[in-house]
Amino acid sequence: MNHFALTIVGRDRPGIVSQVTEILYNLGCNIADSSCSILGGQFAMILIVAHPKFSNRDSFGDTFQPLEDADLTVALRVLKPGGEVRPEIEGDLCMISVYGADKPGIVYRVAKVLGEKNVNITDLNTKLVGTQERPVYVMVLEVTLPQGIMEEDLNRWLMPVRDELQVDISVRTIPRVEL
Amino acid sequence: MAVRKIRVYPDPILKKVAEPVEQFNKTTVEVVQDLVDTMLDAGHSVGVAAPQIGVSQRIVVVDVSKSKLGKTNNHGLLEMVNPEIIASSGSQMMREGCMSVPDYTGNVTRAEHVIVEFLDRSGQLRCVEASAFEAVAIQHEIDHLDGLLFLDRVSSLKTDIFRRKNK
Repeated sequence: MNHFALTIVGRDRPGIVSQVTEILYNLGCNIADSSCSILGGQFAMILIVAHPKFSNRDSFGDTFQPLEDADLTVALRVLKPGGEVRPEIEGDLCMISVYGADKPGIVYRVAKVLGEKNVNITDLNTKLVGTQERPVYVMVLEVTLPQGIMEEDLNRWLMPVRDELQVDISVRTIPRVEL
Repeated sequence: MAVRKIRVYPDPILKKVAEPVEQFNKTTVEVVQDLVDTMLDAGHSVGVAAPQIGVSQRIVVVDVSKSKLGKTNNHGLLEMVNPEIIASSGSQMMREGCMSVPDYTGNVTRAEHVIVEFLDRSGQLRCVEASAFEAVAIQHEIDHLDGLLFLDRVSSLKTDIFRRKNK
């Protein structure tokens, strides 16, 4: 099986998912991992798909043209062998919530601290909420801590960002349990 | 006394509502013992429900006393027949995994405290107030008796936090 990363973005309306998945179904593509969500007024689909015969972009021909005609933007990435396998990410899980009056740099400053400390971001969502006069920025991250790093360390590292940007940051460990 | 094979989804017994134990007898005690043996054999396990070993009856065992998260707050080995949660409060989130759903984990929010009523191995009515990890384990195992897997309880991060519509 060859794997591909497919992204589709366009103005949200009912019927996008069915149009996309009908094409994939007719092609004989399997959908593996996928994440689709409304962001602003756009619907964004990210899918890892597999096909038993297709090996490159040309294999798909112009099958996505109807999507482009429906004003959706389609991008296809050909994965190298093994690129579809999720690495085993060990370590404690933490959820981080960051929120405050909207200002530039919130995502970058938090991500910079995490990147420098080798903390792996496994999920990140942001949303602009509040009113037009008083916009509030909310960011929620799920991260995996490197060995030996605790919730308290994250708190300490993020404190300067919190003070400087005047945002609220809370960190909580999600225990992994096997039942 | 036997270690039984853990049933794995899509085994249909996992989605069935288990039958209450009406008559407390030798078989009941055997199922309890098999559950304990199976739990101990799995090593890391802190609980097993009867449907997981192929018995569609309302029996579970829980023991978090040997786990890191539960060792300071537990009631030891709990053998519960016809368990029922009669009160619950608070909420806590854990990343749950289940022997019957291998290779997948999901964030599940459950009550922080529960009061559970059940018959013990000797048929005595007992009531236990559990919290933290022990409460999660009890809720997870009792879900198995109702044909629920943690997959029925996971909710996406985004919908959880951003569900509320702007007014």
